[in-house]
Amino acid sequence: MTSLKEIAYDLVQVARDEGAKDAVAEAFDRSTRLVRFSNSEIDSTLSWVERHAHVLVAIGKRTLVTDVRDLETSKAQVRELVNRARSAPINEEYGGIASGRFKYRSGRADPAIVKLRDPAKHVHEAIRAAEAAGSDNVGGTLYVRHAVIGVASSSGAKASDENASLDLSVRAFSQPEASGHCVSVTPRLSGLRAKETGARAGELARMAKNPVQGEQGRFDVVVEPLFLGSILHSTSNMMSAMLVDIGMSMYSKKIGKKVASSRITIVDDPLMPSSSRRAFDHEGAPTRRNVIVKDGVLRTFLHNTSTAKRYRTRTTANTGPLVPTLFTIPSQPVAFHPVLEPGDWKTEEIIADTEHGLYMNNTWYTRFQNHSTGEFSTIPRDAILRIEGGEIVGAVKNVRMSDNMMNFWKSADALSKTSQEVFWWDEASPPSTLPTLRSRQMNITRSA
Amino acid sequence: MALFGTGGRLIPKTPMRPPSDRDMIDEEVALATLKEAEAKAGVLLAEVRLEERDRRHMAVKEGEISSVISAHDRGMNVRVVMRSGTGFAGGNTVSKAEGLRLLQRAFRNAKDSRRRTEVSLSPEPSVKTSWEVHQKRPLIDVGSDEKLGYLKDLDRAVMKTKVKVRGRFYELKDYEIESFFANTEGSRIRSFLPRVVLESTNAVISKGESAQSLRSWGASGGWEKVEAWALDEVLPQEMRMLKAQLDKGRRVKAGTYDLVCGPEVAGIAAHESCGHPMEADRIIGREMSQAGRSFVSPDMIGKRIGSEYATVIDDPTLPGSYGYYAYDEEGVKARPRFLYKAGIINEFLHNRETASKLGVQSNGSSRSEFYLREPIVRMANTFVAPGDFEDDEIFGDVKDGVLMHSFTEWNIDDKRYNQKYVSREAYFIKDGEIAGPAKNCVLEITTPGFWGAIDAVSRKLDFVAAECGKGDPMQAMPVFTGGPMLRLRSVALR
Repeated sequence: MTSLKEIAYDLVQVARDEGAKDAVAEAFDRSTRLVRFSNSEIDSTLSWVERHAHVLVAIGKRTLVTDVRDLETSKAQVRELVNRARSAPINEEYGGIASGRFKYRSGRADPAIVKLRDPAKHVHEAIRAAEAAGSDNVGGTLYVRHAVIGVASSSGAKASDENASLDLSVRAFSQPEASGHCVSVTPRLSGLRAKETGARAGELARMAKNPVQGEQGRFDVVVEPLFLGSILHSTSNMMSAMLVDIGMSMYSKKIGKKVASSRITIVDDPLMPSSSRRAFDHEGAPTRRNVIVKDGVLRTFLHNTSTAKRYRTRTTANTGPLVPTLFTIPSQPVAFHPVLEPGDWKTEEIIADTEHGLYMNNTWYTRFQNHSTGEFSTIPRDAILRIEGGEIVGAVKNVRMSDNMMNFWKSADALSKTSQEVFWWDEASPPSTLPTLRSRQMNITRSA
Repeated sequence: MALFGTGGRLIPKTPMRPPSDRDMIDEEVALATLKEAEAKAGVLLAEVRLEERDRRHMAVKEGEISSVISAHDRGMNVRVVMRSGTGFAGGNTVSKAEGLRLLQRAFRNAKDSRRRTEVSLSPEPSVKTSWEVHQKRPLIDVGSDEKLGYLKDLDRAVMKTKVKVRGRFYELKDYEIESFFANTEGSRIRSFLPRVVLESTNAVISKGESAQSLRSWGASGGWEKVEAWALDEVLPQEMRMLKAQLDKGRRVKAGTYDLVCGPEVAGIAAHESCGHPMEADRIIGREMSQAGRSFVSPDMIGKRIGSEYATVIDDPTLPGSYGYYAYDEEGVKARPRFLYKAGIINEFLHNRETASKLGVQSNGSSRSEFYLREPIVRMANTFVAPGDFEDDEIFGDVKDGVLMHSFTEWNIDDKRYNQKYVSREAYFIKDGEIAGPAKNCVLEITTPGFWGAIDAVSRKLDFVAAECGKGDPMQAMPVFTGGPMLRLRSVALR
């Protein structure tokens, strides 16, 4: 069978032969298995496969993009695409594609994941562990993913990449309003911690028992990596040059400025071993480790070739999908694997050092009143634990963090020395590697 | 936006005789797959869905073309329900061989689930029909030049206001979905559904402050729907309104007020704190890990949740609506569902599995985003039922209050009990009259607190198009949210 890299290369050649000046083709072969469970048993098992290619062609600034879903007829579709591009309207935003003599650090999928026959046994293991830790009702998902990707462009890109991953999400309840959530995300089967993940979710559910109505006011918040993954989802989106362009970012005109406390360093690292490791961006440029915020100072936005040209800089190789996904807009540069550099605290030390605070397990529904100023709120879910005098003294419920996102990052003063890869639904997404963090004096509100 | 448009309509047709120009789907693929499924032991139900989709997506940023994307997609899925569990398999290839491969995989998936609690389905009649949404001017006949020209015209109209607006990012997405559904109970349903949605992102800047506006308009139907939105008038009005909010708005002093909610706020409340908690899959826990659970339990049917004015309907059959469908993804005929009825919890949203579990019939609420996603319980068009007050009667009786016409930030907890709405457009009301803009008014309230405070509902309905997110993997589902004006007495604002 022809490799995806060769399929992509052939499509680029067809586009060039037909008259395209620029062309990028990215061919995918993805298979996914999913075990969904609730009420402590499996509901359904699902699997799906996709084999397709995204193709961009440009004649001057006349650009067209398509998703070739039938690879059998892909060459004919690309010829037609180029012919249509001749009369396509001029795309003034288009600044070309990455060019060079590229070298890639392609990945290999863990064969143990690719060959995994019985993912359900890991689900049962997680459910049992959660129940043993104090839960009476467990739900979640286990994904088994495998993707092979080939890319080629008219400007020197030609590579293939492969990734496989497991992500297990376990939410455990001990009472209808007492729950804990924990995930295990890994590119290696040996890295899956089904038992520990279930046990931690169950333990948090037990700690969250008998929650009382939360109070409004200012609290120091200690947030777990899962919570922080949701916050970083919003934050890294706003670091995309495209989001800055359309007024949907609090980072406009902030390059070189202080945007977080000096303890905060945020890196996008697509090349570290992770479930979202990738060797090239969607233009075919080799990915690299990009320091976005260093010691609290914003160093760069995330760029593709077109946004980089407008900002008179170089691409950071963060070109997003040529065909936008559910949560991206066309041409949006994206973070592939954000990393918040760890600190030097133990999590227990952060709690012991907190006089009046809340320990938060997870959050969702982070929404902005105004992206350009950062006013937002988010709703903590699962275990919300009250800290008084350095000790956890009980659980609360029905609270919301209503503050400013820039203030959240500027108020961070303690980070744990251990980090965890997290990926949960489309909240803590893309996969990121994060420590536990404390942010001082956040505004907590609740329903009247 | 246009209400209850006439473009979407149910057209009964001779069974299995689709329009000749769209005769692309090979029904034999589905039927051959089902024949094999019928031979398998232990299968309660097998379903096959074939789907073809043409889609176009274009964007204009600050007056310049930003992207043009088009694609043709086809694929299929097989769902097998056994007492031991449900199995689903999908792929973007359509052939008899692929159908058999997917069947084997779905069958194995269902067996692998090994449930202790047996799965059952509500008995539903088999259906042989076809339906389509009519387009006066088919979306596919409108060229990209005209569509992009339309978006550029919107930008020019916004620029003409002289209001300083950043972003000005306008996306137009349109597509046609042709599908064929068949199951082992004899249902055979063919459908054709064109949809169009326009999304705008604007940020108004004035006197050192800014306000964002993220809006969308959507419909099932043809290009005539887009023209009916009159966005060349609506968007400039929005920019002028936001500038006035920034320039003249005063903060609401925290306290207790009467609150009038505009249709957009009524709609988001209907969706978030009625529609979602009334989804039976949440209620029985199937969404517990991701989209969450519900404060509603199965025994709460008949319990009071709001005042007598709180009636919320979910109706997939609204002609021309963004959430329109005639039959759901399990082949059950769509109908209006009265979720809250005069303040009483009345009816959950059901698919066949949840209906069976709670001892009722499905009410046709099973939807999926596309052929690679399993169908789950979803809303369609969720709105507060109109009352008999005129708009001025709603205001007239308010001595000291706020009109929250629309919202920007919003969220709600995963049991659907604690919600927050921050105004995009709001005004003070003094002695029954509008008395100047109120800036960033915040309503943070419980679900019974919201629905219980309503004492008047106006006659006139309006709708907003939205994508509802639920499921795992996340499935974005086109919906309408809407309602009339609502008056809430004595609620806390800040």
